[in-house]
Amino acid sequence: MNRNSRSDGLHDAVRRFAAGERARSFSELALEIADFQREFSAGFARLCSARSAPIATVDDIPGVPCDAFRLTRVAVHPPDEDALRFSTSGTTSGARGVHNMRVSETYYQLALAFGRAALLSSARAHHVVALAPQLDDPPTSSLGHMMALFMVDFEQRGPFDVRTSERWLMGEDGVDVRGLQMAAECSAKREETLLVLATSFALVGLLDSLAGRVLPLPADTVVMQTGGFKGKTRELEPAELRAAVARSLCLSETQIVSEYGMTELTSQLYEATVPGSALGRERSGVPGVYAEPPWLRVVPVDPTTLEPVADGEVGIARIIDLGNVDSAVAIQTQDRVRRVSGGIALLGRAPGATPRGCSLSIEEFLAGARR
Amino acid sequence: MSDFESDARRARLQPLFESARSLLDPASERGRQARERLTASSGLSREGVDFALQRCLEVAPDEREIAALIATTPSARVAHVLLSANVFVAAHRAIAIGLAASADVRVRASRREPDMAELLLAGAPGSFQLVSELSPRAGDRLWAYGSDETMDEVATTLPAGVALHAHGSGFGVAVLEDAPSESELEALLFALAEDIALFDQRGCLSPRVLLLNSASLSASAVARALAHELEKLERRIPRGQLSTQELSQIIEYRDTAHFAGELHQAGSGFVSIAEQGHWLLPPSGRNLHILAAPDPIAALAPYRPLLTSCAFFGPSARREALRRALPGARVCRFGDMQRPPFDGPVDRRDI
Repeated sequence: MNRNSRSDGLHDAVRRFAAGERARSFSELALEIADFQREFSAGFARLCSARSAPIATVDDIPGVPCDAFRLTRVAVHPPDEDALRFSTSGTTSGARGVHNMRVSETYYQLALAFGRAALLSSARAHHVVALAPQLDDPPTSSLGHMMALFMVDFEQRGPFDVRTSERWLMGEDGVDVRGLQMAAECSAKREETLLVLATSFALVGLLDSLAGRVLPLPADTVVMQTGGFKGKTRELEPAELRAAVARSLCLSETQIVSEYGMTELTSQLYEATVPGSALGRERSGVPGVYAEPPWLRVVPVDPTTLEPVADGEVGIARIIDLGNVDSAVAIQTQDRVRRVSGGIALLGRAPGATPRGCSLSIEEFLAGARR
Repeated sequence: MSDFESDARRARLQPLFESARSLLDPASERGRQARERLTASSGLSREGVDFALQRCLEVAPDEREIAALIATTPSARVAHVLLSANVFVAAHRAIAIGLAASADVRVRASRREPDMAELLLAGAPGSFQLVSELSPRAGDRLWAYGSDETMDEVATTLPAGVALHAHGSGFGVAVLEDAPSESELEALLFALAEDIALFDQRGCLSPRVLLLNSASLSASAVARALAHELEKLERRIPRGQLSTQELSQIIEYRDTAHFAGELHQAGSGFVSIAEQGHWLLPPSGRNLHILAAPDPIAALAPYRPLLTSCAFFGPSARREALRRALPGARVCRFGDMQRPPFDGPVDRRDI
């Protein structure tokens, strides 16, 4: 069987798995994808061969460090077969991490399936806006693309042009507070549930624009927050930001739901807190705990041996994402995590254990020449 | 500057040089004590501490260097010195700059590694003060060494009227152009391995990347040869203890480099090459990334503010071009990256 036939077969199996079929288990699929990637990705083959033991279980699959996406192409297929191409933010050298996907349907199905479960609190139609900059064309940000996807799918009125200023409520002047107010009025008038998709720094921008005033949104509004601050605004602790946003928009804190995603992944994790959502009903999660979709598993591993740590102990996250059929089924991050009841607690990046002195850190290098 | 002022500055430096000199002999009581204390606090192996003292502690700067140090250091009512961790010999140069500036020198050592400053003071009592907190006032000068984060903190908390000389984060590179002979290449890589191994690569002068511009040398061949030199050197000078975070960063680098191209085990460290010629900054701990660069000056341009030191081998005209292109970095020979002339701060980024 050639490369694309095998890839198509795996995509089909993953989509079926996501739809609830369990002809093959998560582990079987993960190992099959790893085997496929070892055959067609020279880089992954090198990582596998560096292991002292064969890959027999999911825990044996080596994680591809996120930085590899910046240094080289992480894909089993050639560039002319890319259906989607998402980039991370840039660095001094201009090198961006790029996630190349050959089959867009898998991405759409997985993102929508778990997004619906986590964010949709009622069967009503939704009105979706983004506190994010206007989507570029073609979209290079996986987050922007996902937001656009949610706008079309969750509004249940067929395809429409999402590239309008009423949808993307953040420009060079900051957050469009008036636009958000109009979106709230529009959804109330049409008896739709308002869904606000926002980056963390946009929410801080919103709070700054409101300057202590409140902007009451319809009572069943859901706000999805995602991403870090990337030095664009002052930073707030997640709990502090959640509380402030809830207070300012007259919502309960459970209506502010965090998403964890990254360019290098096909799938996303969410807090299972939204009242009335399928995920909330199934897992009744708490803030700060991220639920994995059935086709993704986070394995906390020891940072120096990369072996899984005992349940409940802190490790760095290796993420097995069955959606990454044509890139890297296992991603190794530096995010500290702990498995807890209901999912994964995110604990941020590893703190500096040793005073660094004047030696340049990798983070500083990636942040670039700032003077 | 008057001769009197110049002589006064010179006189203040002499006790410090003598104090440093007395640490060199491992058989002396001070030399033994220094090795014991510095091994405990630095995390380096005992051999690593001895190697750093012998190679990098400047105990006999020549007359021209001292003259330059005195001439280029601005005077201060009080000179405050905030020391960094990781490269203990740096305390010597930093205190010397303070003494060149003022008769009243107040030094705050790194809390984790106070030993070198204490050892220097014990050998030159009264030449400067060790303090637990610095309290500069208007008209004073502060020479601060450490991470950019620390420099930012210092800058925002400094009272008005205090002149700050901040030396923040940085890294070193090596540039190999032209076609060295086999024996020249061996000597260059031996010297580069020593530059890498000193302080287990934790300093801002430590080379992290080698740019290669040579029609006759392949990056793979250079990587293999350098890995061999690093391995040999580690048998003589073992790597010290690394923190969990440092080890974790090495693992991440190892796997990234392995995925992206070629990786060579080099004792406890690694030498890497990326297939597509992208930059990769290896973490400290004796690791080096090799970049094939047809135009090293252009390749270095985006990193100019971060570069402290650049070892160079190649035609002299290219060396001069590199000097002009990197005014903030010390351009030197392979093997001299960790011992810049004692004529001022280790890098030239504040000039």
